[in-house]
Amino acid sequence: MAAEPLIVMERVTKRFGGVVAVEDLCLTIGRGEIVAVVGRTGSGKSTAMQAIIGTFPVDAGRVRVAGRDPYAERRALRGQLAVAFQTDRLLPWRRTWENVAIGLEIFRVPRARREAIAREWLARVKMAGAEEKYPHELSGGMRQRASFARALAVDPAIVLLDETFSQLDELTSRELRGDFMALVRSLGKTSILITHRIDEALEVGDRVVVFGQPGHVIHEVATSPDDRSNHDRLAKLRAEIKAVMAE
Amino acid sequence: MATEPTGRGPTLVVVTVIFAALAGASFFTPDYIIPSPRQMLGALVELLTLQSGDLVITAARLAAGVAAALVLGSALGGLMGVVRPVARYSKSLLFILSGVPALSWMLLAVLWFRDTETRIFFVLFVVVMPFYALNVYEGIQALPRDWTEMLEVFRPTRREVFRLLIVPHIVPYVILTTKSVSGYAIRMIVFAELIGAAVGVGARLAQAQGMFRIDRVFAWTILLVVLNFVLQGAINLVERRMLAWRPAAEIR
Repeated sequence: MAAEPLIVMERVTKRFGGVVAVEDLCLTIGRGEIVAVVGRTGSGKSTAMQAIIGTFPVDAGRVRVAGRDPYAERRALRGQLAVAFQTDRLLPWRRTWENVAIGLEIFRVPRARREAIAREWLARVKMAGAEEKYPHELSGGMRQRASFARALAVDPAIVLLDETFSQLDELTSRELRGDFMALVRSLGKTSILITHRIDEALEVGDRVVVFGQPGHVIHEVATSPDDRSNHDRLAKLRAEIKAVMAE
Repeated sequence: MATEPTGRGPTLVVVTVIFAALAGASFFTPDYIIPSPRQMLGALVELLTLQSGDLVITAARLAAGVAAALVLGSALGGLMGVVRPVARYSKSLLFILSGVPALSWMLLAVLWFRDTETRIFFVLFVVVMPFYALNVYEGIQALPRDWTEMLEVFRPTRREVFRLLIVPHIVPYVILTTKSVSGYAIRMIVFAELIGAAVGVGARLAQAQGMFRIDRVFAWTILLVVLNFVLQGAINLVERRMLAWRPAAEIR
């Protein structure tokens, strides 16, 4: 990998009580890279992501995001990270544009400017016309689009996608995935997609990292744009990952 | 399919039935038990023209006591929600406070404070404040973790978390508490005035009782019920404006 590393996890271990969620995890992600992390339920994928966000300190090892410890140097990474979660997590009392602008509000962007940015992002995620609606007036897909706009509105270096598409129906999920990943690629963002769907991981990632229990990397495959459009190649990679996960 | 009556219709029906029952009963009872509707109406007009100031005084005392309880109780509840040791000790204190009978507070207030306004304010505050503190605290406990995690990603300060998440989240709890305590607060303030004040509806009720003016007792009672309706209407208005974002619940 030639790209400058933006996220580095070195022999990271995290326990919750007696449960080891992540053990000896090593993972390096370069600037502009899109990595899909796939694994079974309980394989520590989300814990690894939380460690990157800096939600908690790790018990052993080292996590660096843009050269900083995301937990200890919490404020230094302000604006560097954004997350689109499994559920939209829109605040029900804020209109759609206000939800999209919440990060900008925290960064003290003046109201007129943040409203303009939020409206622009809503248009880019095909949500023009829904700016004044409250979350309960939106469909599941629209809510997820709004949450994605919220993540990108702060212009982060890293976009984390935590099973972002898993709660949507197959067609909506595919449509949103296509739209979102095209945006992430065109903007040159570094991105990690956490998923338990092998197909989704292969469709999205420049690299697919397979997690085993307790949370560590057991396999990696690199995929090129040619691989992603080659049906036979994808089937072969899918079978390879499935076999590794079944072991 | 029968449709449910909605809006002010049912209230008007209930009010009409109550007045009809009172009017009917007044035919069979002496005036000092249940006065006639004409006497009640006369007393009502008399009070509104001669003693309406007392109603204003009671309403002002009510507003001051409830406002102070709302502000300080919500602030305490907010503090309990974010600082655990404060929650541990405050919860115990609030449970003890809410276990003390209102009558005890009134008698203590008469002994502790010379000033009438302080007595009434104290009683109302100490009786109502725990409701706000405990409900706001419970509201913060019910704050979805998903929302705090979402906000945390943007690295907000504690102040920003409070402003952007906690305050808007507890607004429905504060409004609900105000709705629940308004009727109770009116009863408390009338009791307090009855025991420790020379002016106000409670004091006038005591006077009317002493003079065997049962028509005035009924008239003051009607005015207190109207005051409660006005208060509930005002709270509903605030609720509609502040919670416009909330979808109407539909249970089939």
